[in-house]
Amino acid sequence: MRKSVAPAKPGATDLSFLDKARSRIKDPFFWSDWLVVVAFIFVVAVFGIIAPEEFLTLWNLNNILVAASIPAIIAVGQTFTVLTAGIDLSVSSTMTFGAVTFGLVFTNSWPLWQCVIIGVIAGTVVGLLNGLIIAKRKINDFIVTLGMLSVASGAALVLSDGKPRQVISEQLSTLAIGEKANVPYLMMVAFVIVLIAHFVLFHTRFGTHVFAVGGDPESARAMGISVVKIKVAVYVISGALAGLAATLAISRIGSAEPAANTSILLNSVAAVVLGGVSLFGGRGTIFGPFIATLLLQSLANGLTVIGVAAYYQYLSIGLVVILSAALVRTDK
Amino acid sequence: MKLTKSIKVAFVAVAASSLVIAGTTTGSAAPKKSLKSIRVAAVVKGLDNPFFIGIKEGIEETALKYGVYANVQAAPGLNDDIGQANKLDSLAGQNYDCYIVIPISSNNLSQAIGKITKKKKTVINIDSPVDSASLNASGGKITSFAGTDNFEAGKAGGAKMVAAIGAGKKIGLIAGLAGNVTSNARVDGFKAGAAGATFVGPVNADWDTTKALDAANAMIAANKDLAGFFAANDQMAQGVGKAIKAAKLNIPVYGVDGIADALNEVKAGSITATISQYPYVMGQMGVEACIIAAQGGKVPAQTITPYYIIDSSNITAALTNKSTRGFFPNQTPPGAFTNPYTKLIKK
Repeated sequence: MRKSVAPAKPGATDLSFLDKARSRIKDPFFWSDWLVVVAFIFVVAVFGIIAPEEFLTLWNLNNILVAASIPAIIAVGQTFTVLTAGIDLSVSSTMTFGAVTFGLVFTNSWPLWQCVIIGVIAGTVVGLLNGLIIAKRKINDFIVTLGMLSVASGAALVLSDGKPRQVISEQLSTLAIGEKANVPYLMMVAFVIVLIAHFVLFHTRFGTHVFAVGGDPESARAMGISVVKIKVAVYVISGALAGLAATLAISRIGSAEPAANTSILLNSVAAVVLGGVSLFGGRGTIFGPFIATLLLQSLANGLTVIGVAAYYQYLSIGLVVILSAALVRTDK
Repeated sequence: MKLTKSIKVAFVAVAASSLVIAGTTTGSAAPKKSLKSIRVAAVVKGLDNPFFIGIKEGIEETALKYGVYANVQAAPGLNDDIGQANKLDSLAGQNYDCYIVIPISSNNLSQAIGKITKKKKTVINIDSPVDSASLNASGGKITSFAGTDNFEAGKAGGAKMVAAIGAGKKIGLIAGLAGNVTSNARVDGFKAGAAGATFVGPVNADWDTTKALDAANAMIAANKDLAGFFAANDQMAQGVGKAIKAAKLNIPVYGVDGIADALNEVKAGSITATISQYPYVMGQMGVEACIIAAQGGKVPAQTITPYYIIDSSNITAALTNKSTRGFFPNQTPPGAFTNPYTKLIKK
């Protein structure tokens, strides 16, 4: 079981640096970590050359960061589940469920911070159910979360009676359009989540256990790690982050929408794969999926900015995902 | 070597394109915009729905006709409200004179529209209206709205059916998705138009042909005296048509939209009428409104796009009017309709 480390700072200059670099480049795992960074730089460079005046403006880079913030948070949650060889297909409808509960209490004039907490709790409950059913009943992650995708979006429709609830709030719109030093607030929130997740994964015992359960559940069990607890925990994390992302989504669109936004799910799975997380569990990083999210959003933004017709955008984004996944090939 | 070469190429490309940009901005600083210099960006709903493909074609072909530039973008999916906001955000900072928008929900584009208004650019809203409260909150401004009044369309259908079957009869109602605004407006409109009738339902058949067939069967079984059916879209009307045929009844069924299959069924007699909409005309009006605004003219604030009841009396005209398109074959109604925009454009 190999616990991979996030892209470390280059420039550690000792004598064997070149040798080390040479051997690292030959290591296929090195590429699964770095390919996404190379691809990201490549995409930005290509659009930068094609449309420097449109793509490489502060305004537009700001747009990309805003667009990437919600998918980035969802991708972090998804990374945890995939690291344990699971997958959370219910993230998009969990987010919708969180948004609807937020909207419900907001229209009943609860204070904003309580609405945010209610949204997170709603997501956490969905995640807890996912985790308990998967771990306790030992049912396949794919099936349980696929079912939950339908259950959570159904619950959202029932709870909201199918109607969107408008959420107009000064604070929320500041969150959505505000920025400091050219960094949008939404991205700051997302980046804090990314940093916390990185710390949890690589600098806590819990993180080590997540890798252990994903890499080899039998050995993990033998070592005294509770596979059930870890499984439940990763789905709770995924659900809670989906609930948090619901607040960001509401801030962006100004209402709690009852219809599930499935592109959020597809995006998170694509980002996790592109980011070099093994679908078989046990290896991956947080920064990989984060950069992959930036890559996917830059691609969508760039294609729109240079005026590529909508039909071709679906095609090109899909091709990039498949191509990069084929190049990364992290699996043992 | 290779690297330095490509860097050089990149620099040349950057330099060249910045020259081009500099050129165009000085060019467009002229007080009156020529048609050729007008740039329109449009963000429609997902193109996995033929209705929005019809709108897209209306925008693109009208732009071509006037010689203005149009970039039509769509939400990545029919429900991807955030993805659609991202698209409009991406375009908002660019060099466009006017933006045509169809929001997925009534709020999701409001913040992006606010940003565009701050840049003193025009926003034209077609098809589904942007909510005014959220627009005010974001400081956005819509110059003109062109869309169907679904309530009025339903009402016209209701009046027509009552005129055909007589007052005081029982009519079955088939609605779309529960809570859907469009479905509600059409059904409520129909009820208002068919005053004096009694109603069975509405039953939600989720816009689906098979579900509508099942619902109609159940309604016919429970109500032998049904004198007509109204379905909130054409696909569901097709299902109802099958149920009526199976029950060997001879009662009218009306649908809404005017899709190709429904027109053929009106011709064949399995659907009585379809209250047709013209997405192409919405796209056309959007571009024309943009041109008027760019030329500095006064744009009509609100326009109801045409709906037309297509039944046996005008189906031949509707079918000859057919263009090459598949799903919404009628680009324009088979009769006269008012377009307040065309005459305001300076050639």
